[in-house]
Amino acid sequence: MRELMRNVYLKDGTLVTKSRYGSHYGEKVFGGFREWIPWRSKLAAMILKGHRLKLRGDEKVLYLGAASGTTVSHLADIVDEGVIYAVEYAAKPFEKLLELARERNNIIPLLLDASKPWKYSGIVEKVDLIYQDIAQKNQIEILESNAEFFLKKGGEIVIMVKARSIDSTAEPEEVFESVLKKMREKFEIISHGTLMPYHRDHIFIHAASRRKAKTF
Amino acid sequence: MKYNLWFGVYDGKEVKLSENFEESFLKAENPSPLPFNVSELGMQVLGEDYYQILRKTALQVSEKQVERELRREDRYVVALVKALEEIDEAINMLSEKLMDIKAVKESDITESFESKIGELKELRREVEREIEEVMRKIAPNMTELVGAKIAAKILERAGSMERLVRLPASKIQVIGAEKSLYKAFARMRRGKKAKIPKHGIIFLHPFIRTLPKSKRGKMARFLAAKLAIAAKIDYFRGEVDESLYESIRKRYEELRRK
Ligand SMILES: C[S@@+](CC[C@H](N)C(=O)[O-])C[C@H]1O[C@@H](n2cnc3c(N)ncnc32)[C@H](O)[C@@H]1O
Repeated sequence: MRELMRNVYLKDGTLVTKSRYGSHYGEKVFGGFREWIPWRSKLAAMILKGHRLKLRGDEKVLYLGAASGTTVSHLADIVDEGVIYAVEYAAKPFEKLLELARERNNIIPLLLDASKPWKYSGIVEKVDLIYQDIAQKNQIEILESNAEFFLKKGGEIVIMVKARSIDSTAEPEEVFESVLKKMREKFEIISHGTLMPYHRDHIFIHAASRRKAKTF
Repeated sequence: MKYNLWFGVYDGKEVKLSENFEESFLKAENPSPLPFNVSELGMQVLGEDYYQILRKTALQVSEKQVERELRREDRYVVALVKALEEIDEAINMLSEKLMDIKAVKESDITESFESKIGELKELRREVEREIEEVMRKIAPNMTELVGAKIAAKILERAGSMERLVRLPASKIQVIGAEKSLYKAFARMRRGKKAKIPKHGIIFLHPFIRTLPKSKRGKMARFLAAKLAIAAKIDYFRGEVDESLYESIRKRYEELRRK
């Protein structure tokens, strides 16, 4: 068994997180671990492709596009001493996310539109990590405004980009180039890459804030 | 400057603690980023329990919101039912044209027609599955009584769950038969004899269709009354009441035996 990140292991070739909770989305559970399925979670795919996030476990995370909580559940295993603010605007998947939030004590569920960060500006604190997976055309603008509201100096960002949701007619490569360009204007890119073979025409971008120190 | 925080209002010096966290949670909007960290200030005011109180408040607020949002899914069903009718028409129309063409000449183009029709039928099944899924969630009792299809059609005619629960049973009974109803009234106004329709969409239900004609009116009235109750339970509580289905099955058996 090999430790890849805090509470994340490769166990006989299977990615798992250390967890004292039961199955959330049909993943296998064994001996204090939960299988982390890369076809279901883009973050799992990113890790299996060799990319790591430096997490200590007590981070504050803003998660945009939480859906039913597939990835959130594993991230909650990782930052088990931190807090995840999980934003999702569709009621149906949110129901399932609520089940998860009732079971864990480090998830704050927010049924809100991520494109309006001012609406939760008096709820969400300054965070160490913004994770975004919303498959929207204007996802970079949404990310920027959230970063402005909530990202700590030195805070990090992980976003998942689906070519088709940005531009359904252009070549994925072109789309990714223009997204990366836009990202570079505001952030420091740490790494990026595809999620093949787990998610076709998707890339992840790992970045960090580049802003001057603020008062907080 | 005043800052709206989920636990109260901060004027830069003091926090005026909210008397109702759920309320202040919903009003925690600020036009620009806060120049301080809300959790640090919060912990000064609420102490170590800060996150537990925040979590509890978020859970309570979002449980209510999600319920309200899900009720809005009735409009989604209305749109899906409308789409389904259009798909049906398209299938019928294409099938007719296909027959016309085939009657004249067998050609490659007929295969293209067939595959398009096949695709539309698949789409139809998908839409039906979606309707079924949403109906089970937003109207479990109505679905239990008459099935998702009929229940969704009734909902579509009513326009929304909110309007549906305000309809009297006598209206639900003839929903979908409006045309013949108006015709009948028009005839009567002209002093002519007319038959008032006894059932609309609910006539599709096997408990009505399989009864002798003379008893269908009675069954339709009974079913409509139970549907009206089911709609109200669905809208106001959302829990399944098993006794409803039992009662219509009994009534059906009675009428069939008589
Ligand atoms: C690809 S899914 C996310 C899957 C999830 N991150 C996971 O890995 O478990 C995208 C989600 O983003 C949500 N979404 C899209 N736009 C949003 C917005 N403006 N605000 C909040 N949620 C949004 C969608 O409703 C959908 O549930």
